[in-house]
Formats: sequence, C-alpha cells, structure tokens
Amino acid sequence: MFFDNYRKKEDGAVRFYDLHSKRTKILLIIIYLICLAVIIVSLFPPIWVFLASFKDIKEFRRSATILPSQFDFSVYAKTWNDLKFAKFYINSFISVAGSVLSAVIFNGLLAYVLGVIKPKGHKVIYGLVMWSLLIPSTTSVVALFININRIGINQSFLPLWLSFGANAFYVVLFKQFFERLPKELVEAAKLDGCGYLKTFTNIILPLSKSIVMVVVIFAVNAAWSDFLLPYLVLNGSGKETVMVRLFMFRTSNATDVEVLRAVAFSIIPPVILFTIFQKQITEGASAGALKG
Amino acid sequence: MAGRNKYRANNKTVTGIKRKDAVGWLIMLPTIILFAFFVWEPLLESIRLSLYTAKGIRLERFVGFENYIRVLKHPDFLAAFSNTFTYIFWSLAIGFFIPMILAVLITETTHFKSFFRVGIYFPNIMPGLATVLMWGFFFRPGSTGVLNIILGKIGIEPQVWLTNAKWTIPLIVIIMTWKGAGSTALIYMAGISNINPELYEAATIDGAGILSRIRYIILPGIFSLAKTLLILQIISVFQIIYEPLVMTNGGPNNASISIMHLVYNYAFRDFNYPMAAALSVMMGIVLIILSGLYFKITASKEA
Repeated sequence: MFFDNYRKKEDGAVRFYDLHSKRTKILLIIIYLICLAVIIVSLFPPIWVFLASFKDIKEFRRSATILPSQFDFSVYAKTWNDLKFAKFYINSFISVAGSVLSAVIFNGLLAYVLGVIKPKGHKVIYGLVMWSLLIPSTTSVVALFININRIGINQSFLPLWLSFGANAFYVVLFKQFFERLPKELVEAAKLDGCGYLKTFTNIILPLSKSIVMVVVIFAVNAAWSDFLLPYLVLNGSGKETVMVRLFMFRTSNATDVEVLRAVAFSIIPPVILFTIFQKQITEGASAGALKG
Repeated sequence: MAGRNKYRANNKTVTGIKRKDAVGWLIMLPTIILFAFFVWEPLLESIRLSLYTAKGIRLERFVGFENYIRVLKHPDFLAAFSNTFTYIFWSLAIGFFIPMILAVLITETTHFKSFFRVGIYFPNIMPGLATVLMWGFFFRPGSTGVLNIILGKIGIEPQVWLTNAKWTIPLIVIIMTWKGAGSTALIYMAGISNINPELYEAATIDGAGILSRIRYIILPGIFSLAKTLLILQIISVFQIIYEPLVMTNGGPNNASISIMHLVYNYAFRDFNYPMAAALSVMMGIVLIILSGLYFKITASKEA
C-alpha cells in the first residue's frame, strides 16, 4: 500500500497512527500534489530553455508552442561555432580549476591552523574571518577592482584564482570538520616527528576527503557562475569566461535563439555536476548553513 | 594529554617564541594576506576613496564628505533607497514563508522524498546570470513571452510583466525566490528533523491533531532558525544587482534600481569611483549593523 512506509517515518507531524483516518490520507495526497506542482515550477524553466533553443528564429518568433517542431542538434553546433563558445568554455575551465585549487589549499591551511594548531592569537584571525563571512564582497568590489589595477594583475586569471583563497564560508566548513577529527592522530603524527605541514598533507587531508569534496563542488559552481569580478578583470583581455560572454548579450544584437542556446551552454556544466553529486550538494547545503 | 602537549611545545622554544605559534602563523600567513587583499583592505580603501576626488583610479584631492552629500542628494539615491525597502518587503512577503512551507510539506512525504529535495534545490545551482536571462524570456511582454503563451492557453490576455513599474520588484523577488527557496527549505528540513519525534507522540496523547502539532511543535522548533535566516535574507536582498542590471536596467524609470546597481552605475558606467565608494561605505555600515544583529541572535541561541 502507498502509505505503508509511513511506519518507518521518523520526522514530521504526521505519524503512522494518524493514517487510520481518511482525512489524513486525503491531506497527504494533497501534500504530494503540491510538492509535484512545486517540482514542475522548479524544473520547467530550464527544461524549456533546452526545448526552445531547438527552434530556429522564425519558429521562435511566430509559433506560440512549447515544443520545437524538430530536434536538430546541428543548430546547436552552429551557434557554438558562431559564438566561438569553445574559447569561453576553455577560459572558464582555466578559471574554475585555479579557483578550486586555491579554495582548497588556502582556506584549508587557514582552517587547519585555526582548528588544530591554534597558535597564540588565532582567535583574532577567526573573529576577523567570521566578520568577513557576513560582509559581502559586493560592497568592496569597486575598491578591490582599483587595487587589482594598481598592482597590475588585471587582464589575467590570477586575481580570480586568488580571490577564492579568501573565502570565509569555506574556512568555517573546513574548520568544523578538522575540529571533529580525532586529536590522537595529530598527536601521534607529532610524536613520530611529523612537521605541521606534513601532518596536514599526510594525515588531515586524507581523512577529510568528504569535506574537501563539498568545498570543491561548491567552489566549482561558484567559480563557474561568478560574473562581476571576472567581467571587470577579464573584459577585453581575450580571456572572457562563459558568464562574461553571457553578460555581453545585454548590449549585443544577437538573436533570441542565440541567447537561448548560450544560456543552455552555460547551464550544462552545473547540471552535469549536480546530477553526479546531488547527494553531496544537498547535504552540504543544509549542514554548512546550519552551523556556519 | 593536554599537559604533555604543552610540555612538548614549551620544550621547543626558539628565541622565546613557541615553535607552535611561529609555525602556525607562518602556515596561515598566505591566506591572511589573501583575506587582507581581497576582503579587509578593500573595505578600508573604500572609505579612503570615498573622501577624495579621483581621475580614473588616481586619487586627486581630499574633499571630506562631499561625495557622500552628492550621492545622497542625487534623485537616483532616493529611488534606490526606497526600492530597497520595497525589495525587502516583497522578499519577506513572498520569499520568507515559501521555504518554510515547502520544508514542512516535503517532510511529510515518504515517497519521492529525495526527488523532491533535489528538485527544489536544482534552481540554486543555475548560474545567476543564466537564471536572469532565462526568466527574461518568460516575462517577455507580447505573444512570444513564455508566460503569456501559457496564459493564452487558458484564455488570459498577454501581460506586460516587468515593464509595468508596479510589478517589476515583486516579479524580480519571485525570480529570486524561485532560485533560492530550495536551499533555504533544505535548511529548515534539517531543522525539523532535529526535533525529537517523541514530542509528537506526547502531543497526540494530549489530543493534538496534525495541524496543532505543526503549530505547537514544528514552528517553535524552527523559530530560532527562522530568525537567523530572516537576517541572512535581508542581508542578501540588500545586495541584489543581477536582476535589475540585466533584466530591467533599473527601469522602468528607476522603478527597480537597487543600491548595488547604483554603485555599479557610478563605478563602471560613469567611472566615478569616489561616489561609488561613498555609496558602498554607507551600505557597508548598514550591513555591518545587520550582521552584528545576526551574531547577537546566533550567539544567544547557543547560550
């Protein structure tokens, strides 16, 4: 029976013994219908993007249907080539790879010192980091942009990579995880004459694969979607990322279907990432924000 | 154990500084430099910048609070300032309760539960810019707008959507909610599953129905979480920029311009960095107050 597995339900207000009443069953069916409707609202827009981007521009302007008249992948390939999207993809990949590496190494090291080594005065740094968690980067983007120009590292990926090395949220995620690792292991490494850095790379990191994974996934998605700083730093350098290209549509005379296909191109990598790592992503999202 | 550790650390004293402290600071130094360059110094630099006139990125003359006065006197500021409150109002009216309701509903399901969780979270992984461009097609006025196509099927006239100044901000908030509600709902769901299930059973014995169990057990159970998320939501609404910048360019007639959008216009359209900095600093102060409030609430929760 549909309601049988409510016997095993652990949380929530509806308990198994409520199901004797018909009203509860109707209530639950209504809840399922609402959830289904919500899922349709959540998933329909991106699905529409993929469907509609198969239309050609004439069909897109005239017909008022949701489904395209034909699924022809060559139109995709044509737009991909016309807009030279391969170049933007490569630029984005370079930007993402460096950002992820920097996110794990720098934030991981800081969290290791704050959570495990705890030298004198580490609380001051932790306090400052916690404040930066809530002082959003957008408020200081103008000054940051000027600083980047002053020291002459604009028009390169370097500032984008390094900016991911100063992420308070990742520091907090790492720190909470490292603090829960058994202290005995760190002590044992110390007795074996393992230096602090070596303890990090040989003991801490191998034990922290799950949290590293979460940070990597978040950083990949954030770096891929990041747009304001990449736009300011990379615009006109030939190193524009996919998001910078999307932003340029604001002032370009590209056709609707080209914009639509470009949007589709920009969604594909996050969708693939999400499909593979949906469990880590949804669990990381609820756990990280709760404690952070 | 702790005593032995201390003894070892003391043992390795080099010129009066404990080795643990020296190495610890050395390891975190690179990250501290990054935080200083990308987060802390720009905040101070904004303040300095806001007190000068500048040619491009070169500072010229100290002018005190002149930039602040110019920003405040500009009619755009009043528009952005009052829009911010409209954004906050709508995002509380629409965006605050939906995640809570979603969390309560999905918690009560057993079939397809993980599908529901993953499905509502999905919009969150869409890049912000792609989301905004995508919804632009949905809210397009005329017969090719996707929502107008759908409305047409049930016999409703095409609407003008974002070009109606009264609707602009609520519609932008709906887009933000579409994107953000799922991740907030997951946080509430985690909160709900932390509630001890025996409470429900005890309440049932006292004769409480399902609705009063939600009212008297679940809602109080997630109340402090809701307070925290409320402040985080207000902080994030303050920084809204993508939607007005890309969808409406602040229009129609400044009806949707946000403070961050105005900062963007000063800095990267007019290249007036000092005025942009002055506005950033004022916004920064508001955000620092809000985050102070956030810390107060989360700290009292743990106590």
